[in-house]
Amino acid sequence: MFDWVHNIPILSIVTYVPLVGALCVIFFMKKDQTGLIRKFATGIVVLDFLLSLPLWFAFDRNGIGEKLFQFKESHSWIPSIGVRYEFGIDGIALLLVLLTTLLGVLAFISSWSAIHEREKEYYVFMLLLQTGMLGVFMALDFFLFYVFWEVMLVPMYFLIGIWGGPRKLYAAIKFFLYTLVGSVLMLLGILALYFYNAGGLLGWKGLGNPISFSILQFHDIGHLIPHDLQIWVFLAFFVGFAIKVPMFPFHTWLPDAHVEAPTAGSVILAGVLLKMGTYGFLRFSLPILPDATRAMLPWVAGLAIIGIVYGGLVAMAQKDMKKLVAYSSVSHLGFVMLGIFALNGPGLNGGVLQMINHGLSTGALFLLVGVIYERRHTRLIAEYGGISAVMPVFATVFLIITMSSIGLPALNGFIGEFTILVGAFNRVWWWALFAALGIVLGAAYMLWLYQRVFFGPLTNPENKGLKDLSGRELLYLMPLVILCFVIGIVPGPFFDVIKKPVDYLVEKVDPSLVPSSPPAMSAMPAVPAAGARTGE
Amino acid sequence: MPSAQEYFYLAPEMLLATAGLILLLFGSVGRGLGNREAAGVSLFGLALTGGLLGWLHHSVPDRLFILQGSFVIDGFSFFWKALILVATALTILLSVRFLEEGGYRAAEYYALILLASSGMMFMASGYTLLTIWISLETMALASYILAGYFKHHIRSNEAALKYFILGALSSGIMLYGISLLYGAAGTVQLGILAQKLGDALAAGNMLVPLGWILLACGLFFKVSAVPFHVWTPDVYTGAPTPVTAYLAVASKGASFAILLRIFYEGFGARLEWQWVVAVVAAATMIWGNLAALTQENVKRMLAYSSIAHAGYILLGVLAVSEIGLWSVLYYVLAYTFITMGAFATVILLERKEYAGETCADYAGLAQRSKFLAAMMLVFLLALTGIPPTGGFFGKVYLFAAAVQAGWTWVAVIGVLTSAISLYYYFRIVVYMYLRDSTQSTPVPLRSPALVGVIAFCAIATLVLGLYPEPFIQLAKASLLPAPAGQSISVTPE
Repeated sequence: MFDWVHNIPILSIVTYVPLVGALCVIFFMKKDQTGLIRKFATGIVVLDFLLSLPLWFAFDRNGIGEKLFQFKESHSWIPSIGVRYEFGIDGIALLLVLLTTLLGVLAFISSWSAIHEREKEYYVFMLLLQTGMLGVFMALDFFLFYVFWEVMLVPMYFLIGIWGGPRKLYAAIKFFLYTLVGSVLMLLGILALYFYNAGGLLGWKGLGNPISFSILQFHDIGHLIPHDLQIWVFLAFFVGFAIKVPMFPFHTWLPDAHVEAPTAGSVILAGVLLKMGTYGFLRFSLPILPDATRAMLPWVAGLAIIGIVYGGLVAMAQKDMKKLVAYSSVSHLGFVMLGIFALNGPGLNGGVLQMINHGLSTGALFLLVGVIYERRHTRLIAEYGGISAVMPVFATVFLIITMSSIGLPALNGFIGEFTILVGAFNRVWWWALFAALGIVLGAAYMLWLYQRVFFGPLTNPENKGLKDLSGRELLYLMPLVILCFVIGIVPGPFFDVIKKPVDYLVEKVDPSLVPSSPPAMSAMPAVPAAGARTGE
Repeated sequence: MPSAQEYFYLAPEMLLATAGLILLLFGSVGRGLGNREAAGVSLFGLALTGGLLGWLHHSVPDRLFILQGSFVIDGFSFFWKALILVATALTILLSVRFLEEGGYRAAEYYALILLASSGMMFMASGYTLLTIWISLETMALASYILAGYFKHHIRSNEAALKYFILGALSSGIMLYGISLLYGAAGTVQLGILAQKLGDALAAGNMLVPLGWILLACGLFFKVSAVPFHVWTPDVYTGAPTPVTAYLAVASKGASFAILLRIFYEGFGARLEWQWVVAVVAAATMIWGNLAALTQENVKRMLAYSSIAHAGYILLGVLAVSEIGLWSVLYYVLAYTFITMGAFATVILLERKEYAGETCADYAGLAQRSKFLAAMMLVFLLALTGIPPTGGFFGKVYLFAAAVQAGWTWVAVIGVLTSAISLYYYFRIVVYMYLRDSTQSTPVPLRSPALVGVIAFCAIATLVLGLYPEPFIQLAKASLLPAPAGQSISVTPE
């Protein structure tokens, strides 16, 4: 039924529909036609979401080898330096693409009431951002990837800088500078790989392959790259990706950016942009630099654990809801990193699924904070209390998302966290202890937040007249709530999609070579069965 | 004696100089030529020169030496001459409106620009140290006068005087270096020089290192590399803005042409000049970018940015590889359009000669003119090196060349300072897009020529970033031969 998808350049279409939409807005719409622009732009992202849905159905779950990456497109772009226009997605990228198009729709709808000035520019930048993010997940050429990776920073800069809070200028340039410093160092790493693959560089004799930036080509030569070169390139990549994730101690831009960004910006920032960092580790660091990954394992895991605990503790101390959610992201992303760097089936499966879970639940949390912020124009927790009496539906949705974030069984967070714990335990048993501590902290700060905002007497008179969720607000929250339940109750289809890519990663990085790994490792099957079964 | 036919190969340069002289002659007789007529004559002269140059390029073999080996016609010189002609034409288009508002006589101005350009074309083809030095002086003398063309303005006078004194000093140092090298090698012809210098150095002749370092100092002065950059901010700020654009693009480009020619063909492999270039490049990138951080005047900021960009370009020079060479050519090409476009935008916003140059004057520009703000955004993104612009692609390949050649530490400084540069370029973006304007009147797009230049440069910047292939081919067809005694693809350890 969805075979036709294979006959058209579906990935390019999904990527560039928002760009075309943005150009239409720029050239054909006047800035006072705000109603039209709003509806048109939202229509474009809805269309884009609908276009991306067939990918889910047409995707071959059993594709391996040549078929691991599907819907491939390959065209010559800059032949004299070996750059090609190559698109293709595996299961991991598929989930992230769908997450991006879905969150895009919700973020656009939520902006209708939140954004009232310079709307034309706002929707143009949001559309450009969509194109940039989709391109990052689809590119199979390192140069192309890098182009999208950097292009995407520009609209995000403007979203924070124009429509942000009081300290927006500071937050916007801090976001841009941090990410740019990371990405230029990553660029040097890319160039080192590029030259090693071809003629060689410094003292390293190259492999003599034709010049190429192809990511799959780099995957193939990963095991041939000498250890010391791998370490250098790994460090260069690490700075780029760790800033994006963000891992402790590179996380300081995140609270600023989140607090100042408009709601939709926060949703996209937390939901999608942070995933680019973890995606970078999965797509590049692990398969291309397996030696270095194994060697750096303790350090990365150590930072991830620090991030989990530190993020949780700092979140506990926040007075501002958005800042609390921002620090909870640091903690949750630490979790994801721990799963990925467990380098075994369960860890990677859990890590990937948790990326999606975090996108859904944190996206929803930012939307919810945005809802209440639009009504009261404050995010200070102390301003609220007892509002479940006046906003029962809002309180219910908030509770579900809180539970999802904490990791209550039957909701998505549980599946991801549990699978990661299995993976971490199998790698180094005491990692799981710290991770579990992170879960406890998570429960503490989220429930405490919930208690302070929703329970108790309704003391603040300003809160007495708060209106409950409107139809439009329910419309953009419901998909997330439903997905949280779906992933929580039937995670099987999601694990099916990422099974082959995870197997591929495990095979590439070959965890059996990890020095001083516990003996239990080898007995651990590289299939995601553990997590999937527990959820059902 | 050189035959008459050999002089024929100088036709493009001669033609341009003649156009300049005609302008001088008729511009000062009687009422003289009006501004627009003079600009028309200059553009016509440039077009003819361009046509002649193209025809000549197709009709001579790969590499032709004339006038007893003092002048060379090759792909490399063709590339630079074409670039100089384009930059000159853009400068003239920028100047028309500017001169009208300033109320200065126009014919001499255009004549000086054409004479300077003709000097630059000689620079691109010069093959002995003396030819190069004399053509450099031709360019420099005309530039000194151009920098002081607003003679009623003290800032313009100051710029001209500083430029002249420091420029004359650097020319003197350079000439002294040349004389030492001549003393050591007994020749000024680049092809022979490399061999002779190597021999003299092996024999322990101390004139060689002293000579080449003095010569290099002069070259670094011309491309405004740290620590020889001090004139740049004052001259760029004080000179009439079209002249600033001209100095930043054409003059700097031609200086890089002779720098490459002398380092690659004149010094050759046995002089270990890469270390000096590496240190200078690192210092230039660091200081240019750091000093730009605090500038309030846009022209001054662009001056420091042009210093920083000289540092990036030196990365490619330093690599001594095929990639290094073509990335330099490519980057200078992209830099030409980016910088011309940025200065054109500055000119359009200027009122009455020097007003409207501070960052604060850009406040709320996005509301006052969507077009100008968007164009300036493109140029600033390109200067920072953000895709999809020519600035990004060019920079990536300069860094790539340095990484490949083993100069990783310089490349690391390059990428980090390049990230820092985001801060000061985006200060203008902050003013344009994120701050409210003090005045709400839309900016009038006064001059069609200016608007045309801006749009053309923006399109060129984007094309160079999105579809660089043909321009890479062009740059690759314009490479210098390998430095004598050194394979060009060899990487230094």
